[in-house]
Amino acid sequence: MRRFGKITACILLTVILISMLFPFFYMIIASFQSPTPTCSISWENYSAILTRGGLAGFLFNSALVAVIVTLGNLVFCLMAGYALARKRFSGNRLLYISAMAVLMIPAHVVIIPVYILISKLGLYNTYWALILPFLVNPLGIFLMTQYIKNLPDDCEQAARIDGAGEFTILFKIVAPLCKPALAVLAVQAFLSSWNSFVYPFILVSSPKLYTLPVGLAMMQGLQGMSTPEIMAGSTIATMPVIIVFLFFQRQITEGITAGAVKG
Amino acid sequence: MKRFNLLILVFPWIATLAIFWVFPVIYSLVLSFTDYSIFGQTRYIGVANYLKLFSDRTFLLSLKNTLYFVFGTIPFTTVIALVLAVLIAEKIPGHKIFQAGYFIPSIVSMSVVAIVFTALYARGGYLHMLGKLCGLAVPENGYLFSTSTALPAIMAMDIWVAVGYYVLLYLAAIKSIPVEIYEAARLDGAGFWRRLWQVTLPQITSMTLFVVVINTIRSFQIFIEIYVMTRGGPLGSTSTVVYFVFDEGLRKFNMGYASAAAYLLFVVILIFSLIQMKLIGGKDQSR
Repeated sequence: MRRFGKITACILLTVILISMLFPFFYMIIASFQSPTPTCSISWENYSAILTRGGLAGFLFNSALVAVIVTLGNLVFCLMAGYALARKRFSGNRLLYISAMAVLMIPAHVVIIPVYILISKLGLYNTYWALILPFLVNPLGIFLMTQYIKNLPDDCEQAARIDGAGEFTILFKIVAPLCKPALAVLAVQAFLSSWNSFVYPFILVSSPKLYTLPVGLAMMQGLQGMSTPEIMAGSTIATMPVIIVFLFFQRQITEGITAGAVKG
Repeated sequence: MKRFNLLILVFPWIATLAIFWVFPVIYSLVLSFTDYSIFGQTRYIGVANYLKLFSDRTFLLSLKNTLYFVFGTIPFTTVIALVLAVLIAEKIPGHKIFQAGYFIPSIVSMSVVAIVFTALYARGGYLHMLGKLCGLAVPENGYLFSTSTALPAIMAMDIWVAVGYYVLLYLAAIKSIPVEIYEAARLDGAGFWRRLWQVTLPQITSMTLFVVVINTIRSFQIFIEIYVMTRGGPLGSTSTVVYFVFDEGLRKFNMGYASAAAYLLFVVILIFSLIQMKLIGGKDQSR
């Protein structure tokens, strides 16, 4: 590209970058707006939303659910990926293909049967409803199976000859080799759990069990909280995502492109 | 290996698959032929729900809005993402910052994004004032309270959210093009535009189709933004099919009827995906 072209492109990209980030600047600045006009930064909105708005509880729920879902995905996707990559059994191929097929199923379309099922199982308005649907995700199955398939199996064979059991081999030998893939999986599972809206929204109605996205959306509809207070809550909900993004940008990119380039 | 151990390894996935994917898809279809609701007896009523949908003005409006949303956002999202990816791939100074910055909107919770934009679009919000400054005929009460601007405003937001994600996919595709092809083109004296038309674009056709497929699946299901920003209003002008399913099934508890609407959408999405995947498959064989 010529010099002139590069400068024009650079200016264009910068303008777009500013417009991309502007709403977040607005969110953060508004969150510090004091109800009484003073020039100093005010944390009042943060304390108001955390206590009076009940955001502290939502924060706890979001964190608890995200941690359990992430751990669940690490263990269960590793297990399934190992079986699908290494073991021959009838149904192996079907289970692998099903993980890809499920990625194509529009999840929001099945909210009614999922709601009925969770209610019938007596799990409506429980932590189980927030956790169970996300404990194993198809992208994770896909990711782990692919990764383990490409690992050499010498160590596994050697351990097997030494008499190690399947679970020892999986967790002591295969798992450490899978660290890069597990990191991608963990980041992806954490973010999707943290941001998840539709299922937590339809499967829980008690404010005690609201996660951050649901709790904030509910406050938005009510008159109780002011806009700066809700912006403070939105900032709290966004910060962990930005932190994860800053530290794990490569893992996030890999998680997204792995599904795309191969799928 | 013992069968029992194998079963333990795959059990969590089989259970999740059966409970949260296979069962709902089948049960949804069954429900759609009944008058299931939380009140009273359930009867099998054949295709009555489906027939009713086509004379239900709320549903037809929701369907129209959804199609409008899908066809009104995807071309813009795709083209903007492609242009940005091509520019970033030219290694412009700061390209890493651009790539990262554009991606941020798509990893922030949609609920938060919708809340922030509700404030920006409201009367006196920054985007409302910006519209006025530009001399546009801006609705006095903000974009979300007018039947003519509410849906386009949400669509604009959605393009803004999604673009960075597709930039990322396009960049991955561009990076996987063999460098030799570019070298050859450069030796032939091809400039930026010729390289773009004759090398980059043809090489990333299958990614374009993939981008359109996943964006179609995603866009047909638009719900969160609608619930947070407008609850389908004003006057149903932003109601979408999934919002209709939610409202009819989980608010009014006409679950059989709502399932019919859901299934119709499911089939529409499936048809679109299959057609597009066929296109991808065809393209891959020709190469």
